[in-house]
Amino acid sequence: MKMNKLERKLIRDLWSSKGLFIAVTIIIFLAVAFFGAMFMAYQNLNDSYDYSYEKLRFADFTVKVSQDALEAIDELEKIEGVETVTGRMNAEDIALTLPDTQTKKVSARVISLPSSDTARADVVNDVLVEEGNYFLNNEGLSLLVEKNFADHHELKPGQMVHLTLEEEDIGFGIAGIVASPEYIFPAESRQNFMPSSEVWGVVFVPEDIITLLKRPVNEFCFLIKDGADYDSIITEVETILDQYQVMDIVPREDQPSYTGLEMDLEQFATLAELFPLLFIIVGAMATYILLTRIVYNQRPQIGLMRATGYSRRQVMVHYLGFALFIGLVGSIAGIIVGHFLSEGITHFYASMINLPYTTMEIQWISIGGGIILGLLPCIISGIIPAFTASRILPAEAMRTPTPSAGRKLLIEKMFPFLTRLSSVWKIPLRNIFRNRRRSIYTAIGVTFGVSLILVSAIMIDSMVDLIDFQFNKIQRYDARVQFSEEQPASLVDEFAGWDGVEKAEPLLEIPVRLENGEKSYSTLLVALPSDTELRGIYSPSRERIAVSNEGIMLTEALSDTLDVDKGDTLTLWGSEQLEVVGFVKDPMGSFGYVSLELAQSMAGMDVISGMLLEVNPEYEDIIRDKAYKAGAASVELSSETKESVDKMMESGMVMLYIMLLFGATLALAIVFTTVTVNILERRREIATMRTLGESKGRIVAMITIENLLLGMVALIPGIVLGYVLAWYFFSLFQGDMFSMDLVVFPRTYVMTIGIVVLIMLISQVPGIRSINRLNLAQVTKEQAS
Amino acid sequence: MTKNDVLLKLENVSRIYKMGQINVKALDNVSLEIMKGEFIVILGPSGSGKTTLLNLIGGMDSPTSGKIMSDGIETTALDEKGLTRYRRDHIGFVFQFFNLIPSLTARENIEFAAELVKDSRNVLETLQIVGLGDRGGHFPSELSGGEQQRVAIARAIVKDPPLLLCDEPTGDLDFDTGKHILSAMRKINQEGNKTILLVTHNTAIGDMADRVVRMRSGEIVEITENTSPIDPEDLRW
Ligand SMILES: Nc1ncnc2c1ncn2[C@@H]1O[C@H](COP(=O)(O)OP(=O)(O)OP(=O)(O)O)[C@@H](O)[C@H]1O
Ligand SMILES: [Mg+2]
Repeated sequence: MKMNKLERKLIRDLWSSKGLFIAVTIIIFLAVAFFGAMFMAYQNLNDSYDYSYEKLRFADFTVKVSQDALEAIDELEKIEGVETVTGRMNAEDIALTLPDTQTKKVSARVISLPSSDTARADVVNDVLVEEGNYFLNNEGLSLLVEKNFADHHELKPGQMVHLTLEEEDIGFGIAGIVASPEYIFPAESRQNFMPSSEVWGVVFVPEDIITLLKRPVNEFCFLIKDGADYDSIITEVETILDQYQVMDIVPREDQPSYTGLEMDLEQFATLAELFPLLFIIVGAMATYILLTRIVYNQRPQIGLMRATGYSRRQVMVHYLGFALFIGLVGSIAGIIVGHFLSEGITHFYASMINLPYTTMEIQWISIGGGIILGLLPCIISGIIPAFTASRILPAEAMRTPTPSAGRKLLIEKMFPFLTRLSSVWKIPLRNIFRNRRRSIYTAIGVTFGVSLILVSAIMIDSMVDLIDFQFNKIQRYDARVQFSEEQPASLVDEFAGWDGVEKAEPLLEIPVRLENGEKSYSTLLVALPSDTELRGIYSPSRERIAVSNEGIMLTEALSDTLDVDKGDTLTLWGSEQLEVVGFVKDPMGSFGYVSLELAQSMAGMDVISGMLLEVNPEYEDIIRDKAYKAGAASVELSSETKESVDKMMESGMVMLYIMLLFGATLALAIVFTTVTVNILERRREIATMRTLGESKGRIVAMITIENLLLGMVALIPGIVLGYVLAWYFFSLFQGDMFSMDLVVFPRTYVMTIGIVVLIMLISQVPGIRSINRLNLAQVTKEQAS
Repeated sequence: MTKNDVLLKLENVSRIYKMGQINVKALDNVSLEIMKGEFIVILGPSGSGKTTLLNLIGGMDSPTSGKIMSDGIETTALDEKGLTRYRRDHIGFVFQFFNLIPSLTARENIEFAAELVKDSRNVLETLQIVGLGDRGGHFPSELSGGEQQRVAIARAIVKDPPLLLCDEPTGDLDFDTGKHILSAMRKINQEGNKTILLVTHNTAIGDMADRVVRMRSGEIVEITENTSPIDPEDLRW
């Protein structure tokens, strides 16, 4: 292919400013790569979830009743629109003794599944055996362990665990480790969304031993036909099951694991869209700035083209070519890298959450989207300068450039002392105001740089703060004991007398449905002594407050969900009335808080369901053993929970630090572009200063002062923008299950400013070096061409 | 075609620049007729409107009033597209400043113009005409000011236009090269029957012209005809 001279000029011009073009192209590349990686991973995961749900026949809705309802199954199956219904046992809080330890117990949810492989064919909420086998029916009792739980305790097929039923330990051999569509994200409930696998897990037992376990068939999982009327099915189900006392109807959308994954996916999608969008805006800005300056600097060349007979269109296409190059190279490279990254992310993520099936395809929509994402903004931001270029009047362009007017500044008139400044200060100051557009570009570049770094840093700060708040302020206890049945309140004193227990506080948690007219929310009512020390209760403004004896306190999120304010009345369990007396801050989960006295008087009994303990660390294990012996269903040690949360947070933090790195890279790219353009544009001026005898050092000082002054000006809008962006990100993730405060540590501002100043100084280096290498004679000659 | 065909005709052409309140009359009611194949030298002090005149003739700019006929085309009636085509097919420019594309070599700068027209002259040949046959591979920054100007001349003639407009083409050149260039131009003028308008400060160059146009304050003050223009090689200054 033979290039015409205009194309050759384009290539040479690109090459001679390669540093700048690479910087801007990298911005676009990062945007598209990030978008591609995240969005393709999002699509892969979404497909994988759907596929897993379909393969394992994940229920459309699940109904829980409180009495044995096995006989209702035939009638339920006959409901118009129901495809399949599976009745099963779902027994909560059964103590499970782990293998090789006599005492280490966890609280298990025990769910029944068809006893044989053949009966499994159309069971709703099937499992995928990942290790070992489905139930073995020859060698005694066997069960299946849910994968997240098994992984945490390193359970393997062939090991023995014991379930405690009616005070009797029954041994089960582990037949297999399974993935369940209901527990991909192992949430116990919407309230206890992230239970520690240390103390809670799911196992499956064959349904032919339900009678042996003396537990009811109390749950029905439904698959409905396509296009069936959901509401009418629910109504019929409610009628049929009414006599067994319907406790809960959970549609798929509210199923905790499903919700958890959806939330996660949403985060993915949001990150996939928002973060690159930010990059793209910056990339488009940089392209615009770069192109505007190129057009400005090439005015005489444009005049020449037009004089020689090149048309407006040719000129326009030529300058658009610069933008097209940035967009094409950036987005194609970005999408290729993004594609491979997405596979890595999908694999990593799928293995992290134990996804039963992973599907991966070439996501053409993302590829197309990514290329458009990279290309379109470049073209759009290139059009204005390219159009300007095509409109330049040839006669005008060929005149010697009139020097822009140098005059005294308004601020110099206002503050006369400024005129007495040495020229090292005066010249930069004048320069800033003399070429306002150029100064504004530099300032905008720095503004974006600051905001990008800050937004990532704020996320890190907020995460650190969240963990600190949860584990040092709210969870002040060292151990939390839970019983499967209510216990007399006097048990607290018994525990408090144990060696190593420094303090014991009673705790009563009762499942409750909070209602305010049409709006309702199912959660736990948490009752604590009003002067509790081991469970910090904080107001929304983070002041420690006491639990009220007068009414119920709710988390902030519930104020929205239930549409209540202080002073309103809520209905509990359909009958009791309580006044909302205040709101509390609770980052994880949404509960109602009352004082223990109030709860006990409502219940009419002095009972507790658990205890919070402050213990001497050396006694932790001994106390745990003793607690289990005393009938505890689970004992959660804060030290262990903290450890596993830390581990979980590690990957989240890595993600945030990568974001910070991206932000800093982006900041570097944009600041580098604007600063370099700014310096290179003044080659002539600087050469003149040099010929007049200014030393290199003074010139460098002037450039540095000018850039840093502009940087200072840009800090404030940058911080504001970063804050607004962070605020927006946060608002996307707030809900009843998770809420996070936007926190910025003062050191973060210092760090951000430090990074930006550093970036500005680094960005100056190539420009300054090229100026120091200036061949004065050559620069002067360039004016003639 | 004979020397007596009118190639260029300006009728009462004015160009006024508005600078805030002041009107700068860069050209004031100029009328001029130029024959095909004429070699015209335009003389005048700085700011007298020489460049403005060339720009108007070359379709780079439009007059505030008046009419220009060039090569049978009423350029003052052309739209933007028509002017581009006119510049492409009828005019070769050599400018006072900024003449080359810095990122293209001498040869490429010439090709840059040649590519615009179907029947362009041989690029190497034009380089030889301006005496730069061996410098084609050099970039403008590697050429002296005079050499750059010669490349610009080669680029103007490579399109083989009927009208060449040269603004101070020899301003930067030493005596010998200047003369060499002027001879080359005279040759192009005579052998190719091209019309050339050449702006200069150098009154001596007037001696080689068919006619000399003297300008002052936007007006043509005098047109003198040389009955026997001298050979550029015999010029002295
Ligand atoms: N774009 C413009 N805006 C305002 N004034 C202009 C413009 N172009 C030219 N002039 C003015 O018009 C007058 C004629 O300018 P022109 O460039 O034609 O002079 P010239 O004879 O070519 O001078 P020189 O020999 O210095 O090149 C001058 O006074 C100049 O200042
Ligand atoms: Mg001039």
